[in-house]
Amino acid sequence: MHGEYKVPGGKLVVVDLEVAGGTIAAVQVSGDFFLEPDSALDAINAALRGLPADAGEQVYADAVLAGLPAGSQLFGITPEGVAIAVRRALGLAAGAPA
Amino acid sequence: MTRSTFRDHAWQLVHEPPQSPALHMALDDALLDEVSAGRRGPTLRIWEWASPAVVIGRFQSLRNEVDMEAARRHGIEVVRRISGGGAMFIEPGNTITWSVFAPIDMVEGLGFEQAYALMDEWVLQALGELGVQAWYQPLNDIASPAGKIAGAAQARRGRAVLHHVTMAYDIDAAKMLEVLRIGREKLCDKGTPSAAKRVDPLRSQTGLAREAIIAAFVDTFRRRHGGLAADTLRAHELARAQALALEKFSNPQWTALVP
Repeated sequence: MHGEYKVPGGKLVVVDLEVAGGTIAAVQVSGDFFLEPDSALDAINAALRGLPADAGEQVYADAVLAGLPAGSQLFGITPEGVAIAVRRALGLAAGAPA
Repeated sequence: MTRSTFRDHAWQLVHEPPQSPALHMALDDALLDEVSAGRRGPTLRIWEWASPAVVIGRFQSLRNEVDMEAARRHGIEVVRRISGGGAMFIEPGNTITWSVFAPIDMVEGLGFEQAYALMDEWVLQALGELGVQAWYQPLNDIASPAGKIAGAAQARRGRAVLHHVTMAYDIDAAKMLEVLRIGREKLCDKGTPSAAKRVDPLRSQTGLAREAIIAAFVDTFRRRHGGLAADTLRAHELARAQALALEKFSNPQWTALVP
């Protein structure tokens, strides 16, 4: 399942994921944003894995924020933007999955 | 904390004959380490491309961004760079690409936008002197009245920051659209008319050859910042970059790191 969200004033956040047993089983966040350190991308993916597949935006955004390594810097991507792309991939939000 | 400025450093210029896309990725990786470790001084590196390439950003999905079949058909090498940002379509002679390797204290304490603006200032002046009105357009573009003309990306590592930029000189937009999966919506958003066969803001607005524009850029950098002594790659730098090109940047595992 695939969802995209253009962060206002930022870059495109893309989420590809698979759901199994009502939870997010596999997830890949990608896009033309900037992250320091670059390992923060794996941390974001790991933070989303295992979350319920029917949660609200805040649950996903909080998980992403909590999962980021200390001192991470985000440019063009936000936890809220990731959460919206996740919800779009899950078919839970406005903006139909591509 | 006192930030240093361009003028506080003895800049060096590296402008080598054409090199492969994978070696260019590797040179940015290796020279960032060299400048961070203090083994190399602050450097402006101008790229010459030996072959066509698609360069995707560190966090982009290979499958989502590139039509691999079209890339193969056109003989285009697909590589992933160490910095974030978007995909670039390169053919030798069609873009102007450079890297600035700066001491981190030039951007320490600056936000991302301020750091991009700072690193683009000299080239905006150079464009102005060539009669091309251009400005930094957040987050990471350089724009002119005709639309986006360049994209920049930064990566910070240790004591150094890399700021590299690709500028359109004369792009075959039709071919680019075959290879890159760019939605028409995004293309319009970037100010590039989707029907255009070529995107040639620099060529058409300056009437200058690509080499002459590069020479003007170098001249502006030198006048504005001082120094810029001609330099070459050291043997150990080239050896490390060649090893990285082979083991990392030509490795499908790295290219498909985000599949």
